Amino acid sequence: MTAAFRAELQEPDATGPLILALPKGRILAECAPLLHAAGIHPNPDYANENSRALRFATDDPGLDVVRVRSFDVATFVAFGAAQIGICGADVLMEFDYPEIYAPLDLGIGACRVSVAEPKATAGTDDPSTWSRIKVATKYPNIARRHYASRGINADVVHLNGAMELAPALGLTRVIVDLVATGSTLKANGLVETEVIAKVTSRLIVNRTALKTRPEAVGAMIARFRDALAAIS
Amino acid sequence: MTDDPPPHPALLPAGLRDLLPPDAEAEAAAVQGLMDAFSAHGYQRVKPPLLEFEDSLLAGSGAAVADQTFRLMDPDTRRMMGLRADMTPQVARIATTRLGQAARPLRLSYAGQCLRVQGSQIAPDRQVAQAGIELIGPDGPEADAEIVLVAAEALAGLGLGRLSYDLTMPPLVPALLDEAGFSPEQRASLGRALDRKDAAAVRARGGALAGTLTDLLLAAGPAARALEALAAAALTPGARRHAERLAETVAAIRVRAPELKITVDPVEFRGFKYHTGVSLSVYAPGRHEELGRGGRYVCGEAEPATGVTLYPDAVLRAMPARAPRARVYVPAGTDPVAAAGLRAKGFATVLGFEPGDARAAARRLGCSHLFEGGVAHAI
Repeated sequence: MTAAFRAELQEPDATGPLILALPKGRILAECAPLLHAAGIHPNPDYANENSRALRFATDDPGLDVVRVRSFDVATFVAFGAAQIGICGADVLMEFDYPEIYAPLDLGIGACRVSVAEPKATAGTDDPSTWSRIKVATKYPNIARRHYASRGINADVVHLNGAMELAPALGLTRVIVDLVATGSTLKANGLVETEVIAKVTSRLIVNRTALKTRPEAVGAMIARFRDALAAIS
Repeated sequence: MTDDPPPHPALLPAGLRDLLPPDAEAEAAAVQGLMDAFSAHGYQRVKPPLLEFEDSLLAGSGAAVADQTFRLMDPDTRRMMGLRADMTPQVARIATTRLGQAARPLRLSYAGQCLRVQGSQIAPDRQVAQAGIELIGPDGPEADAEIVLVAAEALAGLGLGRLSYDLTMPPLVPALLDEAGFSPEQRASLGRALDRKDAAAVRARGGALAGTLTDLLLAAGPAARALEALAAAALTPGARRHAERLAETVAAIRVRAPELKITVDPVEFRGFKYHTGVSLSVYAPGRHEELGRGGRYVCGEAEPATGVTLYPDAVLRAMPARAPRARVYVPAGTDPVAAAGLRAKGFATVLGFEPGDARAAARRLGCSHLFEGGVAHAI
């Protein structure tokens, strides 16, 4: 039976460079020291948010960087379009893609996913009596799961931004949103009533890529792990 | 009153599709290739029905697909029936009932279509073909290895030599957590973290085992390295036995197929809820879907069994393109004996009904050859 397993057929396929997906915005800047420590030097244009390019070469021919929206990092990695990525634990919680592994906590981008509501209504009644609650959020799954675990149906109004406006304009009673300092909530007359989860950014990898290219992907995880140890 | 426009007649329910030429034939040929390889290793084919009573369909390992199973009521008995979402429970039922007295080890193979209620964003198909084998009776590393080797040979026969075979031991972590005295709640939350290889959560929830589990988490990869890490890890006696069995299975595979690319993931148990021993997932480089999965389970009440199910749809997508059979246009009036001779040589003959420009007709009908002057010419 060994005849079917000739050595030349067993070599890993040359499937091109690994793709590292990085999130646009706030976390991108926080990634820079880590990438530097990991010896990953993308074309400097990658940090320029005005650049129209989306894919950037690095000094390593075996690694390219793409820059996408933070929610899309998880999607690119889940589908295997990128093998590695950096994204917030909030995004991972929201999509809950089983195809994603999160082998490293990078400790950057610290914030929390919280429930907030207007100061005027907070604490005025007992949530355990609710059957349903109207929630504005960009995390419909997190909000539904959070309330379902308390026996409450969440009627989700899915917004992509400016959640803080929703209670004041009568759209919903509460919001579920990412809170870093709380100053936006405060400016809009909201108070944080519950922390659903503390969030930091994770190094994520595609499950299949880890199985089919274990050496390359494993080496990349090790580089980030060493970099993390070096800068902390 | 305004009506919505009628739905387009070609629109199918989400996750379902028509296979057209030449794909439908390629799929049938791929399934046949797999089944021939299974048959050559002594696996005998069974054919369970599409529908059966849900009590039997969803018993044992079938419970894993209970929420993915379409149900309908049998107007005859008024009992609920399920449309199979997986064939393994059906084959296990056959092995314990109608073939309960058959000699062990019992080697069975099967191929067929399954339906599931919902596809996922990443795997949207709702109708999924399966082709697989079950080895019922023996419980040893040799049996675990046979399943991997037969699957690998069947796939290699379709030109898929460069696959990776990921071996896991789903009961290892549960044994470790049990013996370390974790409560069911702790196990559930830690299990979820391990499932996602979420190292931060494993460290937070792992208690005394945090270090060991983190090491094992990061050990996933080429078999030699992963088994080394597993051997070096501080395991409880039950977990150690599982680790040793995994190593013995890898060794048994190595003896017969030293070049097979094997990876080991010591802490993986996702999707292996009913697996009680060495389990397998098959991956193709550059492809983002599994070509098959399987592993050891309990057949019926207590009979050891192992098996693997390959997914012909995924296999087909990973396969190198094959040249389709050459089609030759045979103009109207050609001697039928000559046409039969072409078929005997492996051509598909496309018979013309009307006289006229034979070359143009051949092109129009997608033929690669034209029968002219007693010979098939490439066009």
